[in-house]
Amino acid sequence: MAIPTFLLGKRRAGLAKILGIGTTAAVFGVSLVIVGLFQYGNPNFQLTDTANWASTFGLNYIVGVDGISLPLLILAALLCLLAAAGSRDMISIKQPEYYALFLVFETGIIGVFTSLNLILFYVFWEIVLIPMFFFIGIWGGPRRKYASLKFLIFTYAGSAIMLFGFIALYAWTGSQGAPSFDYSTLLTRAANLTMPLQVAASLATFVGFAVKLPIFPLHTWLPDAHVEAPAPVSVLLAGLLLKMGGYGLIRYNLLLFPAADKLLWPVFTAIGLITMVYGASVAFVAQDMKRMIALTSVNHMGYVLLGTFTLGSIGVSAAVFQMFAHGLAVGMLFLMSGYIHEHTGTRNINELHGLRGKMPRTTLLLILASMAAMAVPGFANFISEYQVIQGALSANYLFGFAILAPALTVGYFFWMLRRVVMTPAEGPKNEIHLHSQLILTAFLVPLLVFGIYPAPLLGSAIKPTVDHLLGVLFPGGK
Amino acid sequence: MLTPFLTIATFGLLVTPAGLIRRGKNPIGIAPYAGLTGLVIALGSTIWLGFYGGPSQIFGGFQIDLFTYFFTGVLLLVSLFVAISSLDFMKGDTNTAPYFGLLLLSTLGMIVLAASMDLILLYVGWELMSIPTYALTAIKKKDPNSNEAAVKFFVLSALSSALLVYAISLTFGITGSTNLPTIASSLGTLTGDTRSFALIAIVMFVAGFGVKMAVVPFHMWIPDAFEGAPTTVAALLAAGAKMAAFAAAFRVFIVAMSTVNIDWYSTFAIVAVATMTLGNLAALMQKSFTRLLAYSSIAQAGYVMIALSVPITAGGVPLGLAGGLFHVLNYSIVKTAAFVAAAAVATRLPLNTLDSFNGLARRMPQTAFNITVFFLALAGVPPLNGFFSKVMLFTGAVYSPYAWGGYLAIAALLNSGFSMSYYGWLIKRMYFDDPMDSSKIPEPRAYTSVMWAATILVFIIGLYPDPWIRLVQSAACSLRSPVPC
Repeated sequence: MAIPTFLLGKRRAGLAKILGIGTTAAVFGVSLVIVGLFQYGNPNFQLTDTANWASTFGLNYIVGVDGISLPLLILAALLCLLAAAGSRDMISIKQPEYYALFLVFETGIIGVFTSLNLILFYVFWEIVLIPMFFFIGIWGGPRRKYASLKFLIFTYAGSAIMLFGFIALYAWTGSQGAPSFDYSTLLTRAANLTMPLQVAASLATFVGFAVKLPIFPLHTWLPDAHVEAPAPVSVLLAGLLLKMGGYGLIRYNLLLFPAADKLLWPVFTAIGLITMVYGASVAFVAQDMKRMIALTSVNHMGYVLLGTFTLGSIGVSAAVFQMFAHGLAVGMLFLMSGYIHEHTGTRNINELHGLRGKMPRTTLLLILASMAAMAVPGFANFISEYQVIQGALSANYLFGFAILAPALTVGYFFWMLRRVVMTPAEGPKNEIHLHSQLILTAFLVPLLVFGIYPAPLLGSAIKPTVDHLLGVLFPGGK
Repeated sequence: MLTPFLTIATFGLLVTPAGLIRRGKNPIGIAPYAGLTGLVIALGSTIWLGFYGGPSQIFGGFQIDLFTYFFTGVLLLVSLFVAISSLDFMKGDTNTAPYFGLLLLSTLGMIVLAASMDLILLYVGWELMSIPTYALTAIKKKDPNSNEAAVKFFVLSALSSALLVYAISLTFGITGSTNLPTIASSLGTLTGDTRSFALIAIVMFVAGFGVKMAVVPFHMWIPDAFEGAPTTVAALLAAGAKMAAFAAAFRVFIVAMSTVNIDWYSTFAIVAVATMTLGNLAALMQKSFTRLLAYSSIAQAGYVMIALSVPITAGGVPLGLAGGLFHVLNYSIVKTAAFVAAAAVATRLPLNTLDSFNGLARRMPQTAFNITVFFLALAGVPPLNGFFSKVMLFTGAVYSPYAWGGYLAIAALLNSGFSMSYYGWLIKRMYFDDPMDSSKIPEPRAYTSVMWAATILVFIIGLYPDPWIRLVQSAACSLRSPVPC
């Protein structure tokens, strides 16, 4: 499991385009090997790798995957490959720096999804941050300086508070044996903490994850960062960076503090519900296509928060699956917006007339991607969103309001498509390259495959782990 | 045992006369190189002794233990960085030889301070450290800013020395000794009135050390002095003198004052929070790079103060103290190098305002990259060295026997998060903004070699911190000996 991390760690030196894309491809290959080696149905951490790092102070290098991290690991490897491939056309200045930072980013993101030591997790978490700051600041759009700094300060402040949760766990569980930052040790110890301590640590970590996820009202960095970032980086931001927040919520908030969960779940789910509806409503008024897609992410990440804190097996599994599906769908939309911007010179929804006539194949892909984001049955998104709402309803009937969110999502996507696609065409045909079409199609394949037959991922990987962990956490049910 | 001390003393006295020897047309002379040689020998012997030399005590007051070696090593490294960069900074100056002589003598004062187990020796070290720095601050005789800074610095520093003497005499009056362990044992039995004298002594010590440590409310002179002083001297003051003052404070408070039945820990915690908050808030508003560095160094002093507020942890391991020493190491490397970078920019660009840093990445790519690394390290971004010392400090705060430890850690972490705003702002200026003039600026090797050495250390310590953590833990234990840990 350490292989992708190490592979990248050693290769971060200045790399040209081919080496950059080649490395991401190699990492994707390794992740496929991991998919093959993974024992499905086994709820525990697998393929773990341990090494002493700074053990004097409880910092160990421990990585491993379980059913929750596996989908995200594949997602990370796949999106990095596709985004790197997409960068071919869109990044023209300072390429060595770009691809070097890209690999640093990939090191970080894979580390986040696999590390099993809190400080190691934090280290990878922050490694993701710095390349992203430079991506937006150097290769970004007109307001890149503002957006990059805002992104950096928001997320860095959020992670500082999250770090408090981590070190507090270390200190507060110190009376139960040698203090440790190891996840598996804390998993057994944190549950023994008294209620106020659990709530304090839970809230501290929640802030860190909530900024990344992001939830209302900590989301304001997101539209700026996503809009100003170059399209392949927006793919990484929406497809992976936000998933770090969701993963953290499940891995740390949900699983470490059962007593705090039982107290706080109404608050967290309410925030999730607000985020869903808020993101969808604001997306209606967005003029910039990229801004609209960015707000889609706010909308869809609300599902993750809601699903996670239903505290039920269906909701939590669906939250994990939603991250996987949303990562692909929104990644595809962002990359597409980049291509459309390159070929038409605008991203303004009102100015993009008659895309159907100008770029027929792209239009087809755009419609398919929108269908995925709208959670049309047949796409993986349908299964995850349906199950989140099902899980929420089984927790409380009040969550029936959640059904508003998908309705709104359909609304703004249809309105966007109506303006962009179903208007008379002006100007000559101007189709994107074949390889660009292939890259975009590559996003669709897993969405459709797992949309029609989700069992391999949802049933045999995610669910057993979630069932097992929730069973340990809440022995008598919620 | 005394090799580093004797080397620095010998070379310090020889360097200034060596300036009189001039060979041919070489304008620099051999003095700077003699000074460098002295520092390298001393640093080498410190590292050697740190590995193979055991602890010992000379004349009862000269304590040679791992704590001494640790601080001696850090301070000599700072001094070495300053000396190397001064090769370019002082080029063409007529006072080069005295500059290097004073640099070495001040360094001698610092390392004596780190080794002193007796208040009289401590005071000797204090003055030996301070007096040469007054002259160093004013070494650019024709520059009014330099002179103004020197006067300001001198007045406040003299005040701090006076307070220190007062504290020492009070302590001697109460306990009848100037030896720290003896003071500790007699302070433990204090009752009634004498306890209030002990309180006054502690306050005087805090004020005396506080001026040099630059903790709130004794920080006012720092920005003016750092801005006016020659930038390399500012590096020496910010990393060398300040950390030496911390070494003395560690000795006095942890060895001697820990037995007093007065809760000075929570007071230090308040001072720590005030210092880091003020430093960070003020740093955001600065328009000049050296002032920004000065306020950021005040903020960093606040982090190190945490070590004084939580010297022991609930588990008995001196986690906070070790974290403090680790932060001393990391801060010294990074801050010295950051000031060296400032010197590199200041000597090549006409203005010292932050605007001259716009687009620096295109004009001085090496300097810009290194400043970025230093700033990220100061902000505590992993996997750079500053992160691990901060985590140790903050964990030490939460993991302390005091109920307020958690709040201290939250305050420190919020500060740490907030500090990213001005560090990030400057990185943004260097990399994202357009320069006024995009011509390349030469980067002299005297500066870049120091910066790269520091960057390499930042990464080495950051990527594999384990040996360093063990080093600082042993140093912290040796400070607290004979208490087992």
